[in-house]
Amino acid sequence: MYQKIIKRSLSNMRDSYLIYILACSFAIGVFGILLSMGDNPSLHYALRWWDTLIDDITAMMSGLFALCAFVYMIYVGGFFIKQQRNEFLTFEKLGMQRWVIVAIGFIQTVIVQAIAWIIGLIFMFVFQKFMGMLLFYLMQVRLNFEMYIGLQNIGQLFTLFIGSTLILSVINAVKTMRILQKKKRKNSVKTRWRLKIPAGVFGIVLLLTAQVCTLCLFKDMHTVSYSSRPMMEIGYIMGADILGTYLVYYGFLPSVLNIMEKIHSVAYSGINIFSFKYMKERLFQNISILWFVTELSALALALLTFCYFGYQAVHQNYNSAYPFELAANEDTVKVIREELKKNDAKVKGTYKTAVKINLVSYYSKSSQSYIRQPMTFMSYSAYKSLPKRMRKGNSNINSHQFLKIDYKSSVMYGNQEKEHDIEVKNAPMIQSAKVGYSFPYGSSMHFGPMMIVPNKYYQSMPAEVKDTFYGWDFKKGDRLSHSQLQKLNSYRDAYYMKVDFKSSLSRSSIKVMKKEPNKYAASTYTQAGFLRQGSLKKHFKQGGGFYLFIVALYSVALLIALGSVLTLRILLRDDYQSNQLRTLQKIGVEETEVKKIIIRENTLTFLIPIVFALIQSFAAIAMFDFGRHISKNIILIYGGYIVLYALFGLISYKVSWRGVKQKFNL
Amino acid sequence: MQIAVKNISKDFGKKRSTVHAIKDISLKVEHGEFMGIMGPSGAGKTTLLNMISTNERPDHGQVIIDGLDITQMHDREQAKYRRNKMGFIYQSFELLDSLNVKENVILPLALNRSNKKLIEERFNYMMQLLNIEKLSKRAIDELSLGQRQIVAAARALINSPEILFADEPTGSLDSKSATILLNYMQMINKKEKTTILMATHDAFTASYCSRVVFIKDGVVFSEIVNPGNRDKFFEQIINMQRTIGGGDYFNVSKNY
Repeated sequence: MYQKIIKRSLSNMRDSYLIYILACSFAIGVFGILLSMGDNPSLHYALRWWDTLIDDITAMMSGLFALCAFVYMIYVGGFFIKQQRNEFLTFEKLGMQRWVIVAIGFIQTVIVQAIAWIIGLIFMFVFQKFMGMLLFYLMQVRLNFEMYIGLQNIGQLFTLFIGSTLILSVINAVKTMRILQKKKRKNSVKTRWRLKIPAGVFGIVLLLTAQVCTLCLFKDMHTVSYSSRPMMEIGYIMGADILGTYLVYYGFLPSVLNIMEKIHSVAYSGINIFSFKYMKERLFQNISILWFVTELSALALALLTFCYFGYQAVHQNYNSAYPFELAANEDTVKVIREELKKNDAKVKGTYKTAVKINLVSYYSKSSQSYIRQPMTFMSYSAYKSLPKRMRKGNSNINSHQFLKIDYKSSVMYGNQEKEHDIEVKNAPMIQSAKVGYSFPYGSSMHFGPMMIVPNKYYQSMPAEVKDTFYGWDFKKGDRLSHSQLQKLNSYRDAYYMKVDFKSSLSRSSIKVMKKEPNKYAASTYTQAGFLRQGSLKKHFKQGGGFYLFIVALYSVALLIALGSVLTLRILLRDDYQSNQLRTLQKIGVEETEVKKIIIRENTLTFLIPIVFALIQSFAAIAMFDFGRHISKNIILIYGGYIVLYALFGLISYKVSWRGVKQKFNL
Repeated sequence: MQIAVKNISKDFGKKRSTVHAIKDISLKVEHGEFMGIMGPSGAGKTTLLNMISTNERPDHGQVIIDGLDITQMHDREQAKYRRNKMGFIYQSFELLDSLNVKENVILPLALNRSNKKLIEERFNYMMQLLNIEKLSKRAIDELSLGQRQIVAAARALINSPEILFADEPTGSLDSKSATILLNYMQMINKKEKTTILMATHDAFTASYCSRVVFIKDGVVFSEIVNPGNRDKFFEQIINMQRTIGGGDYFNVSKNY
């Protein structure tokens, strides 16, 4: 008989169990894949540079993933026990012993967990190779990913299966016990409007102020290196968003529904008379869950924002540091040309630009101090003749304007303010210069900032040092061998400049030294002889690929978890809520009208968290977007997230309506 | 004649365990008639009522109301027809717990998007007619079982239905509450000329009807017409129950 009871319970909630089991299986599968990747020989071979880190990273990631999945299982697994409340109480009334009912709860959980683990492990076996290949593709490694699951991993997975299943089953058994102990349950929630209305209004105020503060953050974020204001703003925004959202859910939304309920011309029209109250009831039941999902969605969007801008920043920084595959100056160009001839490299493009080095003095706004240093000058026409990618991070200028290219104070935040009053030795003062951070020929070829000046200015200005930069682009790389690179290493530094600063710029001078000085003074600058992307490019692509893989995996997992929580909350209606829908049908409410209620319920449940999460993630854009605008790509990323989230909403609606219809046909 | 049921039948369950709930039943109901459907548990009373009220579709046969074959209607049209022409009282009341008394009663009118004035007028009229004015702002779980059934009756009658279906309306009530409800139903039948179809297995309840149809094992077994005297009619019903059930089928002893 007990077997029959368990079978019937599992069968009655099969739709909900299916969603839960699939979500758990996905989590178990991903966890298994991450865990087994740590020992995978092909991954270790492909990531030789990161070898020592692989084990640590995969262990940390899989551990974090397991913890999140476990919390999810504890939280969501409890829904099913709660759903069986009436059934358990009836069993007790019929004389079934408590321990038997508790055992039923325990065994049900064991069965569900076992099914989830079996499907999860199958998922792991089937998709390990696919995931590995995806990882290698993202890392741009041309290697075959070998499927591998070590004995140690199998042991770990088995231990975890036993341990987690036991813990979850005991937790659910305790929940069953608590249901039997607390027999009474409040169906109608007392609404404390005196508390809810002020709380809701306060919540709205908090959210609005958080948005105003976010707008200020857009303006202030670049001052983060020297001002505490942005951090204070971030702190306030986070607090106000989290608390404000809860208060709005707790007070404002029910109040709105309550007001609508009181407007009889709206409330007494069609199905509204029922649906407003039904919605309110469901909202009261799900406030904490909606809030929880909102905050986690906001976190997921913030993570995606951070990852996108982080990746972009590192990528741009890399590109501005190494715009050419190979760059040289006039001291090293001959040697490099000879070496390139030897290995038959296929040159795609060669560039050459004359530059002048002179002394400058100005007040730097970003560091808020007076600076005296050598600066490389390039003419406007020479700058414009370089490939467009060299100018990507710079402000646009015309032939009469000046452009100062400087290192960024932070990878994330660019300083887009203009510089003023730059004094140049024996040349007219530069009144105003636009700014940028993309150095033509790469930032490492320059020892200080660079200035793009109008052609006339360039021709008439004197130079302390004159030099020419060279750059090459190749088809399939420069093909420099290890021995060639060793030979070229001795040309890494072209020359050294010792600046003798006096009281005025006109009296200061630069002394060029061909040999490395024995003692480096603060005023000694080194001019690089050549710059090569080489293995750094591979490192960058592999690191970036791994990073994208992990972020994508976490985002999808978070989305599945959140979506399934909402879906299950909708599906697991109380019996009396289902009966109310059935009653409506009995007294002549059309199916389409009941369908409308289900649509409204699903729309509200899914729409509210994503709208609030989007409002909150606006702050994340302010924090990480150094371009001070919402780029197309971030809109695409958010759009993708919303589409996947909406897909969950659609599935939830379909399954929910199917469940209601099944009850109608009873 | 308002309702004509022609050779309807209904089966439940799958192949091997099929139950023939209704087997080829035909009957006619006149306009303004108060007809009872009696029979032991499982005889098919509720199924028959559900099929006439469009809550279930028969496997075979026709149900013609006012000349319209409602079995041929689409689900949506049936729901509309049900909402406009029919009222329902169930043993389990089927009131919506989340709504208060007033909201439950006006629900059929609100669903029809009637204007606010009409809603208020009809509501006040029904409250007065059924003498439950004081209950209008109460929540459903604050009412006694008898009060709940009266509220359910008010809801069933607020849009002046042509036909009222009552499935074991006194099943959950004590005898006093049952008598009050039945008196109201009889009053409505006479005053509003509402046709009432009531399924019951209780002889006392059935004695309020003008005619009682007895069904057993899914077929019409017999029918009795009220001779105008309720006591006599009650006795006839008891005798018929004895005949159907062999004396103790309806908990009535042979020596009654």
